[in-house]
Amino acid sequence: MGLVCRLLEEHGIATVYVATGRDLTALVKPPRALFVNHPMGNNFGRAGDTATQTDIVRAALAMIDSAERGGELIDYPTTWSEKFSFAPVGKAIAATA
Amino acid sequence: MKSIRYVDALNDHYTAMGNPPYRWTVNESAPLHRLDKPLEECSVSLLTSGGVSQCSMPAFNADARNDHRLDAIDRDVNATDFQIHDSYYDHSDADNDINCIFPVERLRELAALGEIGKVSDRLWSGFMGRIYNRSKVLEESGPDFAAALREDGVDILLAAPS
Repeated sequence: MGLVCRLLEEHGIATVYVATGRDLTALVKPPRALFVNHPMGNNFGRAGDTATQTDIVRAALAMIDSAERGGELIDYPTTWSEKFSFAPVGKAIAATA
Repeated sequence: MKSIRYVDALNDHYTAMGNPPYRWTVNESAPLHRLDKPLEECSVSLLTSGGVSQCSMPAFNADARNDHRLDAIDRDVNATDFQIHDSYYDHSDADNDINCIFPVERLRELAALGEIGKVSDRLWSGFMGRIYNRSKVLEESGPDFAAALREDGVDILLAAPS
């Protein structure tokens, strides 16, 4: 999706990428990225937490004007309150096993 | 807590499955399109890659590779009219509240408050993870998406990968 954002920007559409994977985002370098240190699937927060969801949307949209150069990556200040991990289990990668 | 090291985790997973090392895309710079009008006048659209489809549509393939399917979603969609199929992340929260990954209700509220100009007529779900034929994105599905956004007069795309 970072690749898509890069392409759209070249077509005159401003993009903001709200990512939960900081290292992956830093590699692909979308034009503007807000890193949110939440589990994948909770980019905008928890179910029912409308205040956080709105705040993250606002923080992302603020980057439209604030970003000064392509590839800017900002860290959203609040992180997830519990420890979380990532364990890929999908069959697409495991298909050759 | 420190951010998860997804690259290392996925490299380990690939290797354990007997695959050759994955060649990650590494970009040193990025384009930037600056807007010449304020946010209050902009049309904003949304894109999720989290296997999200409306209940009346077929489910996404939860284990898909190279799936360039892209669904258009009406901006006035009922926020409970979604199903999620993707085996690469925990979407239990998003199953209960789609705004966790696709904040359509939050965006509509910001439009009502006048903080953005409008929510675009069409919102989007597609470009699921594990697209390895990147040239097709650059030559076909990406430009087609850009054309659809331009047709709708979209100024800003808020993109949330899962």
